[in-house]
Amino acid sequence: MWNDLLFAFQSVATLTNVLAMSVGIFAGVIIGAIPGMTGTMAVTLALPFTFYMDPVSSILLLVALYKGSTYGGSISAILVKTPGTASAACTVLDGWPLAQQGKAGKALNMALISSCIGDFFSNISLIFLAAPLAILALRVGPPEYFMLMIFALTMVAAISGGSLLLGTVSACAGLLLATVGEDMYGSFRFAFNEDMKNGLSVAPVLIGLFALPELFRLIVFRDGNSGQAMKLGDNRLTLQEIRGSLKSIIRGSFIGVVLGAIPGIGPSAAAFFSYGEAKRTSVNRDNFGKGELEGVAASESANNGCCGATMIPLLALGVPGDVITGVMLGAFMIQGLTPGPLLFQNNMNEVYMLFIGMMFSSVLLFGAGKITARFFTHISHIPQVLLVPVVLILCIFGIYSISSSMFDVMVLLIMGIFGFIMLLLNIPPAPFLIAFILGPMVEENLRRSLAISRGDPSIFFQSAISWIFAAFIILSIGVTIRREWQKSRNKSPQKTA
Amino acid sequence: MGKKAFARGLLISLLFGYISFVMIPLYVPRPPFVPGFAPPPDMWPRVVSLLGMVLGLLAMFFSIYGEVRSKGRVPDSPDEENFHWTRSGVIRFVLTLLVFGGFIALVPWLGFLAASIVLLFVCFLLAGAAQHWKKGLVLSLLLPLALYYFFSHVTHTPFPQGSWGVSSLLQ
Repeated sequence: MWNDLLFAFQSVATLTNVLAMSVGIFAGVIIGAIPGMTGTMAVTLALPFTFYMDPVSSILLLVALYKGSTYGGSISAILVKTPGTASAACTVLDGWPLAQQGKAGKALNMALISSCIGDFFSNISLIFLAAPLAILALRVGPPEYFMLMIFALTMVAAISGGSLLLGTVSACAGLLLATVGEDMYGSFRFAFNEDMKNGLSVAPVLIGLFALPELFRLIVFRDGNSGQAMKLGDNRLTLQEIRGSLKSIIRGSFIGVVLGAIPGIGPSAAAFFSYGEAKRTSVNRDNFGKGELEGVAASESANNGCCGATMIPLLALGVPGDVITGVMLGAFMIQGLTPGPLLFQNNMNEVYMLFIGMMFSSVLLFGAGKITARFFTHISHIPQVLLVPVVLILCIFGIYSISSSMFDVMVLLIMGIFGFIMLLLNIPPAPFLIAFILGPMVEENLRRSLAISRGDPSIFFQSAISWIFAAFIILSIGVTIRREWQKSRNKSPQKTA
Repeated sequence: MGKKAFARGLLISLLFGYISFVMIPLYVPRPPFVPGFAPPPDMWPRVVSLLGMVLGLLAMFFSIYGEVRSKGRVPDSPDEENFHWTRSGVIRFVLTLLVFGGFIALVPWLGFLAASIVLLFVCFLLAGAAQHWKKGLVLSLLLPLALYYFFSHVTHTPFPQGSWGVSSLLQ
């Protein structure tokens, strides 16, 4: 194995491969940082260019774009409260408050370090744990999947905004919106017109919910630091700050790897899960949501921790873990490579070259992050009254270009209004978004399980994995209710008098 | 704060109740035949909307309970953000909704590019960039043009040209 890895290292270290990775990382970071431009879009746009490249260079270019865009999403999340990608939505929770406190530089550095560590950890896991984790993921059936999703939703509802009740209301709204369109048996639900028969795309819902309420807020209340540039402040992280977040980074990387390896869950859920765990266990838990570096670290290490891990089911089983790896599956096919167990037998050299290239791209990500973050910090010098409308136009063009649909633009604007109403009512938007993403999977696994058991709900408690997830769900709800109860006692008249 | 929390709970329960009892029967048709023991298509939306309605009612209950317990001395949720509406703020909000609607309505006539230019400039003015109006005007012209060229040439996105031909003149 080591000889193969050494040979692969020599093969990867060619000018073409290094150039492909560098271009991929830089372009990915830039595209990821622009609100409305997603990692999926970056990888899809690059696909036609890979026709003219050799197999390894082309896959390395796409992987680099994926990694770069995943990190890049955090830049706009921190600087303009608009996650460039869905996976950076969680970074907003603490990144934006840090930027408001004049610590945007620190937040960006923490995001970069956490992303690189998460990414590195993910690559190591891909190399050494591909087969065992893929086998474990294969054993998860519809009932276990359903329990896992419900657990993820309870975590998300509990972590954002501080109120479990409002978080769950938000998640219910997201789950309902996800039912629009054709269901698994071909029935159309809430299909008021032809466009709605295909359901609502994630991108306009995500961008509308997170980017546009800021525009409304600025227009209606004129309180968006109007004309004031966001100060970067001291961007050096102290050793104490890094040490304080190290536990969350390592745990986030691990969560990213495990959830990334299970097809369908992806970096958004991993980031929220990791953030929730960090908030639950941290000594600074009260500071989460108000500008806590550990929150940024937990979210970013987990979403980048998924990057390599989503390749595990793709390479070992030929199953794409998310949309981006789905596009990559297409790229493999174009190059005459068939992901799956046979890939490890027939194209071992290519697999090792891919492993080495992915490790190398982690190092490149650090360099690219340092350089581009400096470039993107110029965003902070633009008055917000100019910047926020610009974000609106970027979003409108970005959303329209995905599927050339004015319907998606309408969804974007309507979701912006909806997001603003949620802001006015203090209902957290994050559970809505994650429920919207997970919604189809939750319903599919619920209905599939009930169909298997002929309507018997005991199917959800027939395996050890289901019981473990059920225990986690009860624990998560119990801990949140207890925390809210304690909080309510602390502000009761007796205590405050 | 108690009143706000009560109104919020009421709004939530009304919204989910409307979806559950009005929209689902109308817009989630049950097929005449459901294969095997598969649950019907309205099962999941109904469960979720009923849960949402119950949560709304709970929110109303907790708002009354919190008000009684605190006897008006302590706010329900001190962490909550309060927004102070002004008359001009309401006007700007309504204007923004009209501008968004206008953008969608104008695209078939003006084309995507020209409508975006108008939308961006009006948004600058509504956001309060009157003192930066020159920068706003330049940005309103250049940014949509740059984005239009990028997406037209790199991703070959077919943007609506509009029946009045304004967007074609700008290119």
